[in-house]
This record gives sequence, C-alpha cells and structure tokens, in this order.
Amino acid sequence: MRKILIKGRSIFKGVGEGEALVSKQAISFLGGVDPDTGLMIEKGHELEGENVTGKVLIFPGGKGSTAGSYIIYALARKGTAPKAMINLVAEPIIATGAVMGKIPLMDRLEQNPLEVIQKGDWVRVDGARGIVEVTKMAPLD
Amino acid sequence: MYLTPEEERMYAGEEGAGVQTAMELLVTLGDFYDAPRLIKITSAHASARPYKHGKEYKVQWLQDLVDGEACFRVLTTVNPGQVDFEQWKKMGLPEDLVEKQEMADAPLMKLGAIPIGTCLPYLHGNLPRFGEHFSWGGSSGQIFANSVLGARGNRDGAPLVIAEAITGRTPEYGLHLAENRKGQVLIDTSQLDFDKISRADYLALGYYLGRLLLDKIPVFPNLPKNISQEELRALTAAMPAGGAVTLCHVVGVTPEAPTLEAAFGGKSPEEKISITPAEIRKGYEMLTKASTNIVDVVVFGCPHCSLPFVMQIARMLEGKKVNSSVRLWIATSKHIQSLARQMGLAEIIERAGGLILSDVCVGPGASFELMEGVRTVATSDARGAHYIPSISKVGLIFGNVSDCINAAITGRWGG
Repeated sequence: MRKILIKGRSIFKGVGEGEALVSKQAISFLGGVDPDTGLMIEKGHELEGENVTGKVLIFPGGKGSTAGSYIIYALARKGTAPKAMINLVAEPIIATGAVMGKIPLMDRLEQNPLEVIQKGDWVRVDGARGIVEVTKMAPLD
Repeated sequence: MYLTPEEERMYAGEEGAGVQTAMELLVTLGDFYDAPRLIKITSAHASARPYKHGKEYKVQWLQDLVDGEACFRVLTTVNPGQVDFEQWKKMGLPEDLVEKQEMADAPLMKLGAIPIGTCLPYLHGNLPRFGEHFSWGGSSGQIFANSVLGARGNRDGAPLVIAEAITGRTPEYGLHLAENRKGQVLIDTSQLDFDKISRADYLALGYYLGRLLLDKIPVFPNLPKNISQEELRALTAAMPAGGAVTLCHVVGVTPEAPTLEAAFGGKSPEEKISITPAEIRKGYEMLTKASTNIVDVVVFGCPHCSLPFVMQIARMLEGKKVNSSVRLWIATSKHIQSLARQMGLAEIIERAGGLILSDVCVGPGASFELMEGVRTVATSDARGAHYIPSISKVGLIFGNVSDCINAAITGRWGG
C-alpha cells in the first residue's frame, strides 16, 4: 500500500471516501444510471453493469440532458449515490447535481485522476481542504 | 464569492432550509464560474414543468424546497408541461400522464409560479427591460430576451433557475457582464433575397449557424430593417438548439447594437461567415431524419405559436380537411388558445381536423413516444425538429409551413 496526495479544486466542499470506480468516458446520469439501484445502465458504456453506490466515482465529466442533475439528487435521496465524485473538468450538470445531493465533488486535480487512480483504490475526497488522498490497493508492477 | 450580510443570513439558513438550499446552489455554481458576487434579477421563468424531465426525483426536490418554506421572490412564470388538461384524451395520451403532470405542477404552484404554461414569457406579462437581469429556463426565451429585449441572462439549467427565483439573485458571470456580450462573428447575409426568405428559412439558417458557432456571439449587420417579431423569433429560436448561442446582435434591433461598431464593442470580428441559399438548404438537410414520407403527426409550436402565426395557420386550413391518418397539432399558451377560440380560429382548425393545444411542450418535453402509431412527425419549427427525434424516438421531416399543411391533408410529405 502506498498513499498519494493530489491537490485540486473543490466544487462541493464535503468529505467522502470509498473504493474507486473509474471511467474514461463521460457519464450521462439521465438514462445512464438507475437511481433505484445505483447501477450503470447506459448500453455500451465502459461501466455498464457496475454500481456507483458508496464508491468514489471518477470520470472526465458530464454529458447529456440537464435533467441529469435530478438523477444525482435522486441517488442521494435513495441512498444509492457515490460517496464522492472527481471530474477532470466538471460542467454545470454534475456540479448542480452534486450540490443538490450534497455529494463532495472535486475537479482540475494536479495529476490526471484517470491515470493515477485505478478501480479498487481507496480514495478520500476532502473537499474542505481541496485534497484527494489515494491509497493504492493494486500491487505495483 | 462575496455575500452581503443579508445573503450571508440566507446562506446560513436563517430564512429557512429552502432558501439555504437555493443559496448553496448559487454560491457553489457562482464559485465554479468565478463570479465575484450575486446580483439581483427582476424576472424568472422556470422550465421545470415537463414531468419527464427528472420525474419523481424532480418533484421530490421541489417538494423539499416547499417544505423548507421557500417561495419565489421575483415574478416567476413557467413553461409548458406534457398535457393539455382539457384535451389529453383527444391527443391520445395516457391518463396516468395527467396525474404525473399534476404532481410535477403542484410544488411549482406552491412556490408561487404563474402558470402561463408557455415558452413565450415575454408575450405573457414577463418582459424584462433593456439592461435588467433575468434567469430563464428554455433556450429560445433566453436568446430572445438577450438579443431582442436587451435584458441580460445566461443559459441556466432548470434547477439553477428555481434557486435564482427563490433567492431573487444570480451569480454575476457570463452574459450578465457587458464585456462578455460583445459580438464575435460577423454573419453576412447580403447575398440573400429577403423577399424570398420564409419563416422556415430563418429557422433553418439559425439552426445551421448554431451548429457552426456553438456558443459564439453572432452579429447580423444586414437583415431587413422591417424584420418582424415573428422573423426575429424564427432567426433566434433554433440557434441554441443547434449549438449554445444565447445572444446574437441584430444591428438596428438589439438595443446594445445600434451600429455594427457598437455590436462588436469596438473590436474586430474574430471570423466572418457568408450566408447563401446553400447554407440555408444545409440547415434543412441537418434537420430531416426520416426513412419514410408517410407522416403521422404535423405539429407547430416549438417555440409556442404566437397569435399571428395561429392566424396564418388557420387561414391556410380554412375549408381543408386533415387526412384521417394524421394528427395536426398547434401548440400555444392558454391565453392565445382562448383568443383563438373567441376569434373563430379554433373552430376553423378543429373543423379541419386539427387541435389547438395549450400547456403542452412539443419540443424538449414532447410525448410522441407515448402515443400509438407515431413513426414520423413533420414540423416547420427547427427547434422541435432538433428535439423531437431524440426525445420521442421518431422520424422527423422539417419543411416550410405550407408543405407541412399539405402533408397534414395528404398524409404524405410532398404527396
């Protein structure tokens, strides 16, 4: 195990931690995530079949309908939301949803989170201090 | 972001949990956009109505705001929803949709929304003046208010507009600031013969430019001096559907653009685009996505039909009969629907076999997928033409008003 600390911009300034779920593709929450179960349901998406509940969800940013913000809110209300989210560069749909659902959200990290963080790593998003703490679980090559 | 002492109190929850939630959204998104402070708005228009946008989750969010004792503190009108409450059966919509739409409307009414039920707030008592700040959902209204009224507003999403209506404030960024409102791209239309340019041509041109410009600010120096409100609506409505254009300058019309120099704010254009009939044709081609010429629905009303447009359609339908296999819809506000009835226009439309509907969105909130047997829709509205195929998973044919009326009568495009 080794720890990496990365600074970034806090958008919603809470603290949340969990296992990393990483997507190199953008996510449309409307039609892409089932709010009842937290399952990724977009056909052909690289995370199709994965569950976002309790994870730290790392993805480039949002896409699709602005109603996606309501889906993030629904995930939070139903207890199926990720613990935190990290974007390369957030856009208004995800930022709005994060505030509505009070889910910590950071972006513009000093290192590319899609390269540094792997599925299964333990990630703590400290939005209050603007720091992401990554505990690598995968063995080093 | 700087907050006034009053705003600090709102942010701290001293005016209730609903106001606090709204302030959290404004402050977070304000910081996100590097806004230095909040500014007061005089007008809000919420696009939050169609049940299908956010479904029960949106209803829950709005209800939580009501329970948190929030209410709209500026004039706030609302967009159309998914059903005409008097005519849903004739529309062929399922009954449960009526209940769902009522559910979506209830918290909005409790927050104090004025149910004009149309995307033309500026024709229904919600008319921000030159230089005033507004928060409107619905991109056709946003671009009209910025470009024709000269009021200032951004391309805000639906939840943000709710928060802005509750607080009476918006983060100061983007098009609220004079320096971000200067023209960027010169659109030369001097090669067009405007005697031959139809309403649908204006819409196709706007759509083409939207696809090309994304969120740039175009300047039109040589549109006809006597351009009508209907034509200005057509020119602007589809630009934010094709792209994200939220302001354009029509020299001589836009209050900030009495001259070409004023439109560019003393700077030179970044780019110049010349428009010929070929570019307008490209707009038509981009919008048509159908595999058959058999038309099941002909619809007018994205954005909603103005009264002069309803009059034009009624004149074209007089003495005609819509094919029994086609539904003809004309979507507008309750107010215009009522005037059309008093003027005898509704009777002409109904006698021909069409419906004049109120409270119904036939664009981003369209419900054609819930009706039986709808495979192909025809329209002369470029916004609707953009949204309907992806929202309702149907084929779409875009063309001018008389071709649409002809398709309603024959049941075939070009037939």
